[in-house]
Amino acid sequence: MTSLSSAVALPSSCRARPVGCSRRARLLVARAAASSPKLPDGRRLRVAVVGGGPAGGAAAEALAKGGVETVLIERKMDNCKPCGGAIPLCMVSEFDLPLDLVDRKVRKMKMISPSNVAVDIGRTLAPHEYIGMVRREVLDDYLRTRAKSAGAEVVNGLFLRYEAPKEKNGPYVVHYNHYDSSNGKVGGEKRSFEVDAIVGADGANSRVAKEMGAGDYEYAIAFQERVKIPDEKMLYYEERAEMYVGDDVSPDFYGWVFPKCDHVAVGTGTVTHKADIKKFQAATRLRAKDKIEGGKIIRVEAHPIPEHPRPKRVSGRVTLVGDAAGYVTKCSGEGIYFAAKSGRMCAEAIVAGSASGTRMVEESDLRKYLAEFDRLYWPTYKVLDVLQKVFYRSNAAREAFVEMCADDYVQKMTFDSYLYKRVVPGNPLDDIKLAVNTIGSLVRATALRREMEKVTL
Amino acid sequence: MAMATSTFSPRPASRAGPLKPLQAGASKPHLHISFPRLRAGRLARAAAGEAPVEVVEAPPKEAEPSPAASNGAAVKAETPAKAVEAAPRLTKFRDERWVNGTWDLRQFEKGGVVDWDAVIDAEARRRKWLEDYPEATNTDEAVVFDTSVIPWWAWMKRFHLPEAEKLNGRAAMVGFFMAYFVDSLTGVGLVDQMGNFFCKTLLFVAVAGVLLIRKNEDLDSLKKIIDETTFYDKQWQATWQDDSPPAAPKK
Repeated sequence: MTSLSSAVALPSSCRARPVGCSRRARLLVARAAASSPKLPDGRRLRVAVVGGGPAGGAAAEALAKGGVETVLIERKMDNCKPCGGAIPLCMVSEFDLPLDLVDRKVRKMKMISPSNVAVDIGRTLAPHEYIGMVRREVLDDYLRTRAKSAGAEVVNGLFLRYEAPKEKNGPYVVHYNHYDSSNGKVGGEKRSFEVDAIVGADGANSRVAKEMGAGDYEYAIAFQERVKIPDEKMLYYEERAEMYVGDDVSPDFYGWVFPKCDHVAVGTGTVTHKADIKKFQAATRLRAKDKIEGGKIIRVEAHPIPEHPRPKRVSGRVTLVGDAAGYVTKCSGEGIYFAAKSGRMCAEAIVAGSASGTRMVEESDLRKYLAEFDRLYWPTYKVLDVLQKVFYRSNAAREAFVEMCADDYVQKMTFDSYLYKRVVPGNPLDDIKLAVNTIGSLVRATALRREMEKVTL
Repeated sequence: MAMATSTFSPRPASRAGPLKPLQAGASKPHLHISFPRLRAGRLARAAAGEAPVEVVEAPPKEAEPSPAASNGAAVKAETPAKAVEAAPRLTKFRDERWVNGTWDLRQFEKGGVVDWDAVIDAEARRRKWLEDYPEATNTDEAVVFDTSVIPWWAWMKRFHLPEAEKLNGRAAMVGFFMAYFVDSLTGVGLVDQMGNFFCKTLLFVAVAGVLLIRKNEDLDSLKKIIDETTFYDKQWQATWQDDSPPAAPKK
């Protein structure tokens, strides 16, 4: 799928803006960094990173490494953020994650169509390739600790609001609730401090985004139940994750069974029919019934997943990264890698724009990070959007989707683009074959759909 | 293209029966166009599929606001240590020709040759059954049927040819009438019409129209497709829209 679209030229309108802006922004930065004022008294640039998840942790670490004085504010240090928890291989290598962070290595995936056609995906994976399943509390804590060792100050507190600067290169004043268990004060004390820039990494319900008027996005609700199943059933999920597609399971997303450290997470999600999420969850449990029978539900959780970026991702010297910005892909709902990567890229842009913390940054420096991120990942997002639009729109399309996934070429392309976030140009002949097969599958599934309408059971 | 546009046609009235009592619960009644955002028809059917197997859980409504209000939280479970219950089940899909998760083609033979139409019918019926009464997957009886096993000419004969006949017929009728109409207005005969650029354009428009617009709803569907393909792009570029003129280098 991905290489097919790279062979077909994307309409120029969707590329022109970010690339043009990035060139313009880069020129701006070159000029601005040289001419933006050196910070008074030789003090370093101060940046507040609000939110200590993958985005915040990665941003704080890169900022601290770059010589910027960084404060990372996180409201709950032991937060077990409900999450699918899947990270691609490139995240392990790019962020130097220790392998003991990965609870499970998923090497087999099963895609199950509405009529229970089951396709095994993962035949094409090399022995060293896998999808890593992590516990968010473990990953987040690790990244925060690394940020701390790099020189960032990690503060336990809840961000309340910020005040915009009163003059042109003036400071932002960040107000937050400081939690300190040692002095026994319940509820925390209000504190504030001054910074030169703010990075909003506080997730889907970002307060920073609200403060800066970033606008809203549509979001999906992901609902999942952690189920502890008997050991012999757990063996089936040893290295295997399952994805269920169908109108019964979700009208615009998919249901899943993902293995966690010692239990499985059974869940589903939806954008358009949030009120029926419980019905969809029941349907997911029904589809996996035999495999999770006898299991005990140990936790029920839900979380929002952004569907697209917020209308405004930067305002003055305040910018958003991760879920706060809305960097979750469609079709698969992947967000952890893009959160961490966007946090790091934003930090690197700030470090570069401030000449390693010696000069003031400007909005144009932050726009440089946006341009670079959009340029790097726009193809990925667009392809996944097209996949979702084409293959999640009806049961017929989903049947075709699962049929397509049985093909080795599709599997190889899919995993390459997921694990390494690169679109590898495939053999053009294979691409044409793939296109023909895709159309064939869709046509057959749609034809069957029309027959189905005539059937009365 | 032929198949793609026909997915947007409204469902026939035959599916009315079991869905009536559930339409009160559907969030958006009476929208038949199957776009992702307008899926009441599917939803009602999903609910219909669920109704026979739904267990005692009354969905607690207080769970709804909390996930959206936070970045995800543990929703209060009704009974935290509740075992995953076995839902009361309708009969599973059964067909003597459905063996080991696929259709046994030998049982479809008619006069020594496989009757592909019967295979298509059987698969349609199976999918309809499973859509209305979803079943648990079973690793022992994994479904491995692939529709590509049915040869391409069987699909052509069954689906493409009647549609092609219909469309060609329409095109011919439109063509004949337009040729007559133009001739009566301008006196230009058919042969001379074909040599004229404007007439050729009209011909192209007529053919495209017959192909793309088969039902009244198709016009709206086409407009929606065009919007949809560019919507995501617009959402991503929103942050660049309010781009004020680049800040001049300061000081």
